[in-house]
Amino acid sequence: MNTDSNVTDRSRRSFLQLLPLGVFAGVFASIGGAAFRFLRPRLAAPSDQWLDVATLAELTGPQPIAKKVLADHVSGWATTREEHNVFVLPAKNNQVLSPICPHEGCEVAWEQARNRFACPCHESYFTADGTRLSGPAPRGLDALPARVQDGKLQVQYRVSDNV
Amino acid sequence: MSSHRSNQIHIWFGTTGGIVAVLLLVQFLTGVLLAFYYVPSVDHAHTTVSYVEKVVSSGSWLRSLHHYGSQWLALFAFLHVTRLFWDEAYRYRKAHWIAAVVLLVLVMAAAGTGYSLPWDARAFFSTRVAEGLMNGLPFVGRYARLWLLGGSDISTITLSRFFALHVLLTPFLILAIVAWRVLRVRCWSNLNRNAIAGGLVFVALAIWCLKFPAPLGPPVETATAEYLPRPGAQFLWLYQTLKHVPGAVGSIVGVVVPGLGVAILASLPWLRARRRLIGGVVIAIFAVWVVTMTVAANLSDRRDQRTREQLARQAQQESNWRREPFTAVSLSGPQTSNTGEPPVLYVKFCADCHGQHGEGARRGNVTFPPLLDVPIKPRRYRRAVEKPARLRPATADAVLFRQAVGAADARGCRMDRALETVALSF
Repeated sequence: MNTDSNVTDRSRRSFLQLLPLGVFAGVFASIGGAAFRFLRPRLAAPSDQWLDVATLAELTGPQPIAKKVLADHVSGWATTREEHNVFVLPAKNNQVLSPICPHEGCEVAWEQARNRFACPCHESYFTADGTRLSGPAPRGLDALPARVQDGKLQVQYRVSDNV
Repeated sequence: MSSHRSNQIHIWFGTTGGIVAVLLLVQFLTGVLLAFYYVPSVDHAHTTVSYVEKVVSSGSWLRSLHHYGSQWLALFAFLHVTRLFWDEAYRYRKAHWIAAVVLLVLVMAAAGTGYSLPWDARAFFSTRVAEGLMNGLPFVGRYARLWLLGGSDISTITLSRFFALHVLLTPFLILAIVAWRVLRVRCWSNLNRNAIAGGLVFVALAIWCLKFPAPLGPPVETATAEYLPRPGAQFLWLYQTLKHVPGAVGSIVGVVVPGLGVAILASLPWLRARRRLIGGVVIAIFAVWVVTMTVAANLSDRRDQRTREQLARQAQQESNWRREPFTAVSLSGPQTSNTGEPPVLYVKFCADCHGQHGEGARRGNVTFPPLLDVPIKPRRYRRAVEKPARLRPATADAVLFRQAVGAADARGCRMDRALETVALSF
């Protein structure tokens, strides 16, 4: 009889000790659920802005021409205007190349003397039309969507997800 | 029967500790989350809070939890002190008692500093009031004000100070007090009842916050002169009291008297005699004061017709604002504009001398330097030209007019080097 009541007492007590933990767990769970949605990263849709690169008259010659474009990036509550380099290939019907190396995402530079693009990070090299020459890059430089509007070459700047 | 009932009431009254613990947990969790988006700068504070309210999932609920939680916390922290007094904790459980009194002060301090952070019109006014209260303090007023503001005026430095006090200093002190209190306790009584009460209060708060978002006034620069700021519920007593006392007496009534009251309560364990009477009087005076003034504040807002209408208008404006989509702000000024048109204010004030497109010009021996692609400072001029809508029209005009006149004043030779450069691009 005595042991019996002791056993129920103890189990009752251990059950009751769970209650405060339960309340704390409940608070954590409800705020934690909201926290997950609250902190979830927001992916920006790729910009469909057409950015002016240059007038067609400037784009001549066999060499890739480095140009700068200004693009607006929306990140959360702020928009930032960033300058990006692009390379125009007049020899290839004004194709516009992204300077982002498809290996790890560094920005390639044009080496005039050796007639090639060189990535400063891991020594990938590309020919004057962006084809991969050597190094760890898995493919050539990416072409950007481009069009001609009112005598101006325009481009949509985007960074490939597949870097 | 009646004694049984009063005993029941007393037992549930004993759960204020649990409620305070749960509400503190809520404040910590939601506060940490809000800090993921908030930026403590007068440029961006309001924008980031709007972003949390309008764009981020669950942002409005979490901010509301933090806002109303702070008001409920002040109430329950006060009830906790009262209940400990009732149980003569100052005699038998000194650590307990002092921790509760200090916690009440810290909770009010956290609420006071937190109120400035959204940098909306009411935050600005509450900062003004804090400034005034400090300034009116006897002997140290001047320095208390300067130290609080971090300079001679309310500025972005002030906001940074309030931010640091709110998210680093007070939470740390609160944690220290709670830890001290938890470690000193040998035996937990009534743990389950505390847990149940805390849980119920949390559920009530969570539902309340689903229904009522935390208020956010207009940004400081767009608030009109008619705007009526109202403090949070835990400060209504102070707000109403300040209506009734003249100037510097406000600091005595609003800061010194409550400070003395708290000091008396905290020193109760060391008083020799009449502790029950002294403490009881202090607590009773505070309770009556706070309740009367809070009721009076509500009544006076309702009674006066113009006040009532203006407050209704503000509520309407706020709900309209909530329906507008969020617009991101530009962090860097545009180097080229897509339209190619120079801003209207540039044409009005600057184009005559610096050229239609900011390319610079020369007239006789006077050189007007180009304004394109020059490092831009200060931000005020640039904003005046590029985003006049964000300044009041008169301000934008005045800023540029002063600049234009300042340049011409340089005796027709060169722009004074000491003059700030206004640079534009379009």
